Amino acid sequence: MVEDATKVIEGVTVLNGVSFTAQPGRVTAFLGPNGAGKSTTLRAILGIDHLTSGRATIGGRPFRDRRRPVQVVGALLTPDAAHPRRTARGHLTVVATSNGLPRVSVQRALELAGIVPIADLPVGKMSLGMRQRLGLATALIGDPAVLILDEPHNGLDAAAIRWLRVVLRALADAGRTVLLSSHLMSEIELICDDVVVIREGRILVASTLDEVVCGTASASKRVPLEERYLHLVGEM
Amino acid sequence: MKIATVRGQWLSAVLAVMAIPVISFLVVTTGGLGSGETSTSAAATGSIAGLLAFGIWSAMITAGEYAKGTMVTSLTTVPRRPVLYAAKLTATATAAGVGALLSAAIALLVVLGVRAPGTYGLGNPASLVSVAMAVITIAVIGVSVGVITRSPSASIAIVVVALLLPKAASGLLGGLQPWIIGASPGTVVTEVVGGTQLPVSQTFPAGTWAAALTMLAVAVVVAGGGAFAFLRRDG
Repeated sequence: MVEDATKVIEGVTVLNGVSFTAQPGRVTAFLGPNGAGKSTTLRAILGIDHLTSGRATIGGRPFRDRRRPVQVVGALLTPDAAHPRRTARGHLTVVATSNGLPRVSVQRALELAGIVPIADLPVGKMSLGMRQRLGLATALIGDPAVLILDEPHNGLDAAAIRWLRVVLRALADAGRTVLLSSHLMSEIELICDDVVVIREGRILVASTLDEVVCGTASASKRVPLEERYLHLVGEM
Repeated sequence: MKIATVRGQWLSAVLAVMAIPVISFLVVTTGGLGSGETSTSAAATGSIAGLLAFGIWSAMITAGEYAKGTMVTSLTTVPRRPVLYAAKLTATATAAGVGALLSAAIALLVVLGVRAPGTYGLGNPASLVSVAMAVITIAVIGVSVGVITRSPSASIAIVVVALLLPKAASGLLGGLQPWIIGASPGTVVTEVVGGTQLPVSQTFPAGTWAAALTMLAVAVVVAGGGAFAFLRRDG
């Protein structure tokens, strides 16, 4: 939950009273143009960036108070989050060890992300798509209740995008909270339940997908999410 | 664990361990020791090389994380910043301290092996613990400076300047010279292991142990600065 979050960086207001909630059992898409404040918001939720005012909590508590964080939240903020000289297995082992997870969780995450064949390759030798899969394996290693993914589709091929869609849907259906940002509107429309749109640090819409694509109750015409989104952010 | 899973980091640590024995070997075999030296003080002659190597290595642990963008992963897997910072300081200082002890022990064995019979007395081998203490000090400073600057090149420059500049620019320090040079890690090691007689201008006026405590106090202050930066700034 983000409540009245404001972030000022060197005199520039990058978040301005941002409030929204991502619900358990639902996939919430966090959409906005480049520089709208999506990544800053996600980083604030994860306690990486400090808010100037307002608060961001997960399950009612700030994330930075968590003792076993990867079992609460799985996060993917960048595909370059692993040391380039470390192997995928080594990276996941470090994450598992720091959170008291058993070794078997490393193998499980590698299998889930489909990167077992390259598990012993240095991360720096991997393609963007494989690094992204490793990031997803990192996010999923603790079987967390909440997933926060910043543009997880970047670099993924068609098969991986389909795999991610199935995984995220299954996780949400199992009661997990999924919050993800993306620019792939067609894909988002397939998997999300709720939509939050941000522009210039302000929330424009926070609603269900159906309400966003169908407009008001009186308007029955359903339009593609991409079209509705571009109207909302003033780029169409 | 993090160090062990990156080849470059543990290779650098191994090279840092080798720095002191190599210098000691060169000094002993080239006849570079004075008559008042002991095997123990000869084993510590390469301390400044070890301090530089471990200091740079430590700075790279944290500054490298920022440079490569992997600090985000650290913060999402261990979001409690005081715990993460303390873990980084403890792990790096422990690894550096153990490495320094090993390095000094190897250096002593090298000196005992290559010295001409009857040339130098043994001295007090236990005093080589001061090498580990000085290395731990510079490791704590390196980790902290890495967090403060977030830049590998700036961190390395600061560590190198902190170790070498006081002696190089001793003439500019005036009355502060014995206080600053005397509490610098290399000088503290020289004082504790004995051997070379330091000039009064480089000897800490309040004594050797006061110099060692001052050195540790400086590390604590820098570590405090690192903690402040780590807790207050965005990741």
